[in-house]
Amino acid sequence: MNQKHDAGDSLYRKDPKVYPRDVKGTFASLRKLAVVVLLGLYYILPWINWGGNQSVLFDLPARKFYIFGLTFWPQDFIFLTLMLIIAGLSLFFVTAVAGRLWCGYACPQTVWTEVFLWMERWVEGDRNKRNKLDASPWNRNKIIRKTSKQVLWISFALWTGFTFVGFFTPIRELGHSIITFQLGNWETFWLLFYSFATYGNAGILREQVCKYMCPYARFQSAMFDKDTLVIAYDEKRGEPRGGRRKSDNPSEKGLGDCIGCTLCVQVCPTGIDIREGLQIECIACAACIDVCDQVMDKMDYKKGLISYTTEHRLGGNESHVFRPRIFVYAFLLLALVAGVLWSVNHRVLLRADLLRDRNALYRELADDRIENVYTLKLINMDSVLHNYQIEIVGHDDMVLFISPEPVLEPEEVGNFILRMQAPASLGRGSVEVDVRFSTMEEPFIERTVSTRFLMPFD
Amino acid sequence: MTEHPVNRRWSMRQRDWAVVFWIAFLSAAAGSFVLFGLVNPLDMVNAWADQYDIGVRLAYGLIFAFLYLLCLLACSLTMFMIRTGPARGHVTGEGRRSIPKVRDPSKSNPDLDGENWK
Repeated sequence: MNQKHDAGDSLYRKDPKVYPRDVKGTFASLRKLAVVVLLGLYYILPWINWGGNQSVLFDLPARKFYIFGLTFWPQDFIFLTLMLIIAGLSLFFVTAVAGRLWCGYACPQTVWTEVFLWMERWVEGDRNKRNKLDASPWNRNKIIRKTSKQVLWISFALWTGFTFVGFFTPIRELGHSIITFQLGNWETFWLLFYSFATYGNAGILREQVCKYMCPYARFQSAMFDKDTLVIAYDEKRGEPRGGRRKSDNPSEKGLGDCIGCTLCVQVCPTGIDIREGLQIECIACAACIDVCDQVMDKMDYKKGLISYTTEHRLGGNESHVFRPRIFVYAFLLLALVAGVLWSVNHRVLLRADLLRDRNALYRELADDRIENVYTLKLINMDSVLHNYQIEIVGHDDMVLFISPEPVLEPEEVGNFILRMQAPASLGRGSVEVDVRFSTMEEPFIERTVSTRFLMPFD
Repeated sequence: MTEHPVNRRWSMRQRDWAVVFWIAFLSAAAGSFVLFGLVNPLDMVNAWADQYDIGVRLAYGLIFAFLYLLCLLACSLTMFMIRTGPARGHVTGEGRRSIPKVRDPSKSNPDLDGENWK
């Protein structure tokens, strides 16, 4: 349909600002619950300590990630990769089952926009009042309300930026450095940058992000099939739409169940009309379902004119929740989650690297023995002190000496000099040697490292 | 009969992919120059994979490959967003749905009290 007329004489069609009407109902309550839980986690987690550290802290300078008592080192990078794959697969799984559940309830864009909308509604009033305020000339009331809204938004955005940086710098130290005006340059930059991003995305851009910037909105249709839950208007039941009194018989007036109140449009956070069919702009927040059900109730009609349904069900066919792609996604997801949990639980909390001394290949000692010198790097990845035992496996005639004493504090990295000695009769050239590292405190902390012991070649 | 050269032209999709691969390569090359001008690639590799004995050439290659992969992802996603984005004329309203009309719910439905719709 060509809508050039909407632009009038201008070369640009300006869409009206979307001021969604407040809505109450089952799905609105679920959305509020999601906002409270997700943002609650975001704002509260950095303030909670777990096992002596901040519960979630990505300490980049020290290259350690603390997550609920577990410490992840750069060598555990594989877990981050696996977590990202699990997150992606979860998105596929949820989308295949329930459509754009992520967009409507859990996406940071939706969640923060919802909070910004609450603040806007609280200061400026509901949809009609906001529209009227926008249309009114600048006067004292308008200046006060608009300024108050901006103050609230900016304060909230700054708090969001502060919390974001608090995931990378211990949040209590960060708070103290702000109060004492000792905030570092990088912290200042990221605090302001994330605040600006929150303010811009959730306060100013809002639905434009979902419509034009979000890649997920574009490719989610690839995960849809005819059994995926979507929000749809029952056209057969609703049309032809039109106003009426409650006492009117719609069939006598030649009308369907849609009374044309346009409340479904007024509550939509992206400003679309769901009655025109499934649209890419629909984030499946279900606000239209809530409000339409209330209208149907008021008119004594059956609920569900707009509902979560599937393409199959709309066409009068049977819909299936369990289908091959769901099983495939679920199986992969379960296998990955189980694998990651097992791997995290069975991590050996010790790293040992043996590097040969490059100055001399070997040294011939007076008692007809050969000595090789190594630099040993030990990392205690555990949260308690460990005293390490080091032994050569399978060569009883070899001995080793280490200095200083291999004792490491929690999460300490230590460098040691390791000298290995073997009788000249051991062999010629290069001999493979296994060195085992263990602790007396924890029997499962054990690691064996292979290295080469060099002997005279002639 | 010889085939006319026009018939061997690439399709739009093929050209898009060629651009993606080429621009990603250029970006990764520029990124590598800057990165390797600032840091020693062996330091980077040793920081993450010091248990493997990686030589300097392999370190250069691995880091370039990583950068190329990142640039490929960014370029591919950009191409996807452009191809699936608004068509020409979108800005003037051409091809777009009309702005939904809204009205006071109680106007044509006297039994609805418009102000109480929360």
